[in-house]
Amino acid sequence: MASVHESLYFNPMMTNGVVHANVFGVKDWVTPYKITVLMLLDEMTISTSITLLDRRRLNKLILPLLQSPDMTLSQLIKTVEDSCPQLAYTVHLRLQLMADGELKDMEHFFDMLPSPFNETESEAHKTSVVGLFMRHMVLAYNKLSFSQVYKLYTALQQYYQSYERKDSPAAEPAEDTDMELTNTEELGGKMEKEELDLEPSDDEVSTRGPLSQKQAEYFLAQQAYLLKNDENKALDPAALQKELNNMLKFNPDFAEAHYLSYLNSMRVQDIFNSTDSLLHYFDRLILPGGDSKSNGDEGCGRSLRYAALNLAALHCRFGHYEQAELALQEAIRIAQESNDHVCLQHCLSWLYLLEQMKGSDSTLTEHAVKMAVHFCLPYLASLGIQSLVQQGAVGGKTANKLMDALKDTDLLHWKHSLSELIDISIAQKTAIWRMYGKSTMALQQAQVLLSMNSLEPVNLGVQQNNSEAFAVALCHLSELHAEQGLFAAASEILKHLRERFPPHSQHAKLWMLCDQKIQFDRAMNDGKYHMADSLVVGIAALSKTEGLYRKALVLKAQNQTTEAYKVLQRLLLYCEKIKGTEMTIRVMLSLAELHWSSSCHAVALPLLLRSLAVSREYHLQYLASECILHLAFSQLMLGIPEQALNILHMAIEPILAHGALLDKGRAMLLVAKCQIVTASSEPSKQQKTQALEVAVQNLEEAGTYFTKVDCKERVRDIYYLQARLYHSLGKTAERNKCAMLFRQHNQELPSQGVPLITRL
Amino acid sequence: MAALSSQFADLVEIKKQLTVIIALCRERGLMHSVKWASELAFALDPLPMNELPPPPPFTEEDAQDLDAYSLAKSFFDLKEYDRAAYFLRGCRSQKAYFLYMYSRYLSGEKKKDDETVDSLGPLEKGQVKNESLRELRVELSKKHKARELDGFGLYLYGVVLRKLDLLKEAIDVFVEATHCLPLHWGAWLELCNLVENKEMLKSMSFPDTWMKDFFLAHIYTEMQMIEEALQKYQSLINVGFSKSTYIISQIAVAYHNIRDIDKALSMFNELREQDPYRIENMDTFSNLLYVRTMKPELSYLAHNLCDIDKYRVETCCVIGNYYSLRSQHEKAALYFQRALKLNPRCLGAWTLMGHEYMEMKNTSAAIQAYRHAIEVNKRDYRAWYGLGQTYEILKMPFYCLYYYRRAHQLRPNDSRMLVALGECYEKLNQLVEATKCYWRAYSVGDVERMALVKLAKLHEQLNESDHPAQCYVIYIKEIFECGELMEQVELSTAFRYLGQYYFKNKQYDDASICAQRCCNYNDAREEGKSLLRQISQVRGQGETSSSDLSLPFIFGPLSAKNTPVRRMSPLNLSSVTP
Repeated sequence: MASVHESLYFNPMMTNGVVHANVFGVKDWVTPYKITVLMLLDEMTISTSITLLDRRRLNKLILPLLQSPDMTLSQLIKTVEDSCPQLAYTVHLRLQLMADGELKDMEHFFDMLPSPFNETESEAHKTSVVGLFMRHMVLAYNKLSFSQVYKLYTALQQYYQSYERKDSPAAEPAEDTDMELTNTEELGGKMEKEELDLEPSDDEVSTRGPLSQKQAEYFLAQQAYLLKNDENKALDPAALQKELNNMLKFNPDFAEAHYLSYLNSMRVQDIFNSTDSLLHYFDRLILPGGDSKSNGDEGCGRSLRYAALNLAALHCRFGHYEQAELALQEAIRIAQESNDHVCLQHCLSWLYLLEQMKGSDSTLTEHAVKMAVHFCLPYLASLGIQSLVQQGAVGGKTANKLMDALKDTDLLHWKHSLSELIDISIAQKTAIWRMYGKSTMALQQAQVLLSMNSLEPVNLGVQQNNSEAFAVALCHLSELHAEQGLFAAASEILKHLRERFPPHSQHAKLWMLCDQKIQFDRAMNDGKYHMADSLVVGIAALSKTEGLYRKALVLKAQNQTTEAYKVLQRLLLYCEKIKGTEMTIRVMLSLAELHWSSSCHAVALPLLLRSLAVSREYHLQYLASECILHLAFSQLMLGIPEQALNILHMAIEPILAHGALLDKGRAMLLVAKCQIVTASSEPSKQQKTQALEVAVQNLEEAGTYFTKVDCKERVRDIYYLQARLYHSLGKTAERNKCAMLFRQHNQELPSQGVPLITRL
Repeated sequence: MAALSSQFADLVEIKKQLTVIIALCRERGLMHSVKWASELAFALDPLPMNELPPPPPFTEEDAQDLDAYSLAKSFFDLKEYDRAAYFLRGCRSQKAYFLYMYSRYLSGEKKKDDETVDSLGPLEKGQVKNESLRELRVELSKKHKARELDGFGLYLYGVVLRKLDLLKEAIDVFVEATHCLPLHWGAWLELCNLVENKEMLKSMSFPDTWMKDFFLAHIYTEMQMIEEALQKYQSLINVGFSKSTYIISQIAVAYHNIRDIDKALSMFNELREQDPYRIENMDTFSNLLYVRTMKPELSYLAHNLCDIDKYRVETCCVIGNYYSLRSQHEKAALYFQRALKLNPRCLGAWTLMGHEYMEMKNTSAAIQAYRHAIEVNKRDYRAWYGLGQTYEILKMPFYCLYYYRRAHQLRPNDSRMLVALGECYEKLNQLVEATKCYWRAYSVGDVERMALVKLAKLHEQLNESDHPAQCYVIYIKEIFECGELMEQVELSTAFRYLGQYYFKNKQYDDASICAQRCCNYNDAREEGKSLLRQISQVRGQGETSSSDLSLPFIFGPLSAKNTPVRRMSPLNLSSVTP
């Protein structure tokens, strides 16, 4: 199970998982676009003829209009027209009057403007968003110098004229670009073509008005939010970088843009640029702290600590664990020197995470969690608990304790509305249930996560749903579906994953591995070992142990026993070293199977017993049933079918309830085999016939399971067994039918695998 | 490299050409080119009366435009560009046309500067554009296509293109301009700013004139290819430009760049003698004086410059340096700020201001200043180095690695960055990396001579016995070769270690030499004596070796015979993270 909380990177713009751009205070100025918006607002207050529905639509429109980057007039008019055509016309008219008139008109407009808001109780209260905007504008206008006022007016005229020019000769292009108007963040990308150039110029120049501080901040916050929650909806990396570079070119002090550029570079795995941007950000960042010596020092020191911490995070993301550790040590040292316990807690979490990634087993103590609670860091505290739970799950703690702990953290999450952690918690539950082998519970938890409404306000039409938790849950879901033979559904889920987590993104590896594993299983079932072999390389690239294991499976299937044995032995040693319990058990089972193929059933027994003991110790119920299945088979081969049947009863129930189709089939087949063998020792003929008929039924059931997962070889073998049984029962017609089916299948596939009898 | 154009044989011809181009440029108001050419011409012998070149040919068109031209030129000289352009519209002669376009360009630039003060907000500041550039470009490109532009016209077209950030096109046009009118220094100078690296330079074709040599020497200086630049300048001097202040100043700057302080100082002194009222390059001079802590000279220079013109960037920098040397860092920072007010793109001032803030322990302000410097020029290694130092002071050795690495990338052969990198690695306890850095620092020529000692100490820490000895031997040899006995502490440690080392290896002769040397230093005297005693004891027990302890101090036998001097190729500094 991949660690569920890799997304724990500290972002100074973020508190409790919400990204805020720094608020610098009022930095806004008048542009022609804003004058037009003012006119619109003015009209809205004056006009009485707007219907209620229109008014509601307009009200909804106002906030995006105030926050978005400046639009061209045609875009603006179009937007307003969608809500209230009549108002758009009035605004257009007023602007035309002003633009065709004199400077006086504009001055008059601003003179008149405040009156509706100050005198009486009007719709726009002084401190409301609209009221503030208007007051900002009036203030900014009054501050303008003589030449600036004139400049503004000429800008207004140009603004209007460019619209007129665009509108009158050809309406088509204008309409063409307006198609996407509903998509607010797209507007940023719109560029107005340079009109001044008489010749068509080859260089594209954005003449979009400069962003005001406010607009820039809004843009950054929006993009950062999108990056965090739904990367696909954010601007694509190149466009975003271009926008940021543009912004930074004109205002290099705009530190937040550097941070976003860092995040953006991380998207495309560009270590060079991301390091550069990150360091630049912290160089530029002066945390508000005032000029006084102690205070300023504190601010500076704080940013230093987090700078080192972020650098550590960066190296960690790129897999440079040694560098990350050095940076982290630095952060810890500085934090210790200045007694910053909060920062230290962050460092501790990272340290733990780093150790985990490096593969060494470190333990996050409960003490750390308690400290986090003490310093009011619920985020860290519950992350700590979740890590502890994960450790406990792998280390074989009992389920009730784990679930109890998770319940406690859930309480914490809901209390502090840490929706991200709630997601992680559910994903973790999914994983734990899956590990225990309760596929139904896992399925249910995954569905809960997917259909849950996020706590976070749905911003910009984006649910927070591209966290790792979602990826994990979806991967489990697709694997679970594949296990049940619902390959179409599984691939549908994978397709969705591919869309949501494009291959370059951080969590893409999860679904890639999952995808390959499913393909591998299908190829193995189908007997296409060469195909499976080619997939092994891909799997090994994503997960070393998994790759080795699959390699061994292929070798085993191809009867290269010695090589398979070598690989498995190596893997076993490795897994025992890293304490990968699940994999250890699987490897032991495979080793036992290898022993069977060389007919050393007695040798396999101690291995199987050991694996059974281990899986019971770690409460891995499904693997335990699997072990029992293997044990039973060994017993059958050793000639004690009664005993085999006895212990099979233990395993058959969980397998039928939770198991994969393949395992169900194998279990039923084994039952049938045992029944056949025991039937031969039945005293009376009638009992014997009865037993055989039951066996035939079981075989039938196993057959249907195998068909569902395209296990042709096994299906063939089933037909063979059935034919033999029918023969001994004297049912000729059925026998012939089965024989024919067997022959059909046999012609299709070359018989090469292990003969049925020596295989589970 | 030293081969100059064959045209240098005829200095009279060159002088004539210079005289012509001075007149041409002056007519067109290109004052910087006039200044450069005049400076050169002044360095050559005056021409006799009959050799003076005839004034440029006067065409029919020129005659027609004469009145408009003279009127406009007077306006132009008085910086009334729009007015000049107005009276020049419709003129057809090349000269008038150039002045017409040039005044329009300058008018746009002037308005742009004025607008910047008046702009609406911080984010808009950079977006103030020279509005006339686009029109100029359109008109000039039409003319260019029709091949109607002369050398000056091409130059102006190039400038417009560069201002529009169309650098590739600009370079092509400038190259064309140099072919068309090789004598115009302005075009060459623009190319100097546009050519980024050696490969680019090699790929371009230039007219084969004597101007090319000046250009190459200049651009070599810019690209830090100092050896080549110095050779070029030396041969130019040999040819007959020995009096040129331009060349002297360039050589001085070149020496400054390779930190050959003495030579640079002497060049600057010569320059000051020849051209006492010169302000250009004096900030570089003051840097040198600062490094040498020559307080009286710096003070004199500062006062002198202040008398000449106190509102020049260079003057402010010199005064800043002066205050910095007197440890009045607040005042120094103030003067650097003033320099920046005069020219916000003045790179040196930002860096120097960063240094001042560092002195004042105001790290965040220092970081800001350095960042500004990098903003102006990404290739400013001093700013990167300064940032590294700042973070080192803040005790963030890992964090500052990145900055030192950037500085090292820009100056791969500067030992200071390498030593700084080594120190950081040492602090991070990555001793192997650190040794690599120190060794490389030594290999590229260590300025401060500390790399070897540090290397030796590192090897000691790594518990290697031979390597430190080698390092110490090389170190001692180097110190004695230079004849400087400044770093006595390190010398004594070196001798102390070597004495013990030879004693351990039973090379008693060498050991006793070292022990004797130890006795010369206060802090190692006791140890030296005790070692001598030990040696004599051992000798008394063992064979009586014929030791003549009166060896004069030459480390020849010591290093050549017994100590394997490490001949290692300079290691690559493996950059662990980019």
